[in-house]
Amino acid sequence: MRVLAIDTALAACAAAVLDTNHATLVASETLAMTRGHAEAVMPLIARVMQRAGMDFAGLDRIAVTTGPGSFTGLRVGISAARGIALAAGKPAIGLSTLAGLAAPHIAEDDSSTVVAAIDARHDHVYLQVFGAGGRTVVAPRIAPLQEAVRAAAAAPARIVGSGAGLIFAQWPKTAPPPLLVEQLAAPDIGWIARLGAAAVADSLDPPKPLYLRAPDAQPQDAARLPRR
Amino acid sequence: MIVLGIETTCDETAAAVVKRLENGRGQILSNIVLSQVNEHAAFGGVVPEIAARAHVEMLDYVIAKAMSEAKCPFNALDGVAAAAGPGLIGGVIVGLTTAKAIALVCAKPLIAVNHLEAHALTARLTDGTPFPYCLFLASGGHTQIVAVLGVGNFVRLGTTLDDAIGEAFDKTAKLLGLGYPGGPQVEREAAGGNPQRFALPRPMAGKPNADFSLSGLKTALRLEAEKIAPISDDDVRDLCASFQAAIVDVVADRLRTGMKLFRGHYGTPTALVAAGGVAANQALRKTLHRIAFEVGTVLVAPPPALCTDNGAMVAWAGAERLVLGLTDPLDTPPLARWPLSATTARPTAPPVPATGQATS
Repeated sequence: MRVLAIDTALAACAAAVLDTNHATLVASETLAMTRGHAEAVMPLIARVMQRAGMDFAGLDRIAVTTGPGSFTGLRVGISAARGIALAAGKPAIGLSTLAGLAAPHIAEDDSSTVVAAIDARHDHVYLQVFGAGGRTVVAPRIAPLQEAVRAAAAAPARIVGSGAGLIFAQWPKTAPPPLLVEQLAAPDIGWIARLGAAAVADSLDPPKPLYLRAPDAQPQDAARLPRR
Repeated sequence: MIVLGIETTCDETAAAVVKRLENGRGQILSNIVLSQVNEHAAFGGVVPEIAARAHVEMLDYVIAKAMSEAKCPFNALDGVAAAAGPGLIGGVIVGLTTAKAIALVCAKPLIAVNHLEAHALTARLTDGTPFPYCLFLASGGHTQIVAVLGVGNFVRLGTTLDDAIGEAFDKTAKLLGLGYPGGPQVEREAAGGNPQRFALPRPMAGKPNADFSLSGLKTALRLEAEKIAPISDDDVRDLCASFQAAIVDVVADRLRTGMKLFRGHYGTPTALVAAGGVAANQALRKTLHRIAFEVGTVLVAPPPALCTDNGAMVAWAGAERLVLGLTDPLDTPPLARWPLSATTARPTAPPVPATGQATS
């Protein structure tokens, strides 16, 4: 199976082509960036496809990170993936950034807990906890930092993502130290491609952003005058 | 030449397929508009984050429908156009990125269209209007008088220094509890009201430039209404009638000045072209007819579906640019602000004296 993977959700703009018949990625490129994904992503995908020597018709699916992450970044990646899927007539598949961050650690050892945490600012993190066998113990959610610390310290765990350092900085003195603290700004695009190849495609359910936060808007009728 | 056009700069998710014939005329093969009006109604105006969320989940369905209705496979396209601004940046990003993706997959040129240029060129799609003509664009987000001299060749004669006309209608409706969008509601109430009951100002009247300012009118209306609150149904009708009469007077005054500036620099326009949702207001439309007649030209007002935001205007502007070889690279930035005068860096007609501050 041939997968084009795209990630613009966090502090990177990345794309890769995976062919499951090969052990290594056919082509990939990752640029570290916190803004400018909308300008960078399409030329980057064009370069990756060219290096892979593949046209879009040769792909089996497009995989994209759906969040959590920067709202704008999510929409850039998902628009790119759904646009490519539409024009190429291929399915698009969405994957969470938290699963992408956790995947290499679960693959290495699935007997202990992996906590994926992304800095959501204002003392909050986006959080997902994976238990034995890589099963989700805490589903993706936005949590106050203190709550994330409690969840992470509950069992010997590896902590990964841009929120890992935040959690470790608040680590309870009485708890044993975490097995690993890996401060990572974005998931490895190769793992997004591998998860994309393994996922079940559902053409009726195209990727949608996983915001985990409601839009910041209040119904306004304060300006309205009283009626007789 | 067949072009797909994508429009996502505000609260319509829209896509269309337009064919440009050899003789320069246009033919709309499909024109799909999905309005988000219900998503925003509770807020009395467009909420940018809600708009962006709706665009990203619906745009590919809208494009697929436009392509199938046009019976046009992707490889039959000659170009892919998207409104790359000005507008709400979250939506612009979705539309432009999707257009880039389709252009890349199909190996077709991308045309990054200015949303205002798309409105400005619509009269050439519907009526074949030749250059130069005078555009009056009035919507919820824009209020401009523009000399349209050629593709990518625009001179802004006037703009609003604060609120857009459609925004003033929306805020009036919100104040009086009439619902959203406010334009049609206020117009309906105004029909049965007394336009002389409230003395509202005509801001900028008589100024030598063609700029608008509407925030003072909005405030004056609120103060008049607060004086008599709680307000009755009759009060609402009279407030709406007085407000609409003030808007009509302001537009007449500003447009007369704009037409004078136009004639001084470029001669008599081939037409006064109306665009934007506000042009659907019948009282305003009557005034536009009169002003066009006064300067010896005609009013061209495309049908309402092509006056408000739509994909056909973007596809058409894309075709007009493509035929001149004007295409854009895949790293083209989405723009929240993008004045018409900056659409193409090419020699323009002599500049008109600066008028007010630059807005998008």
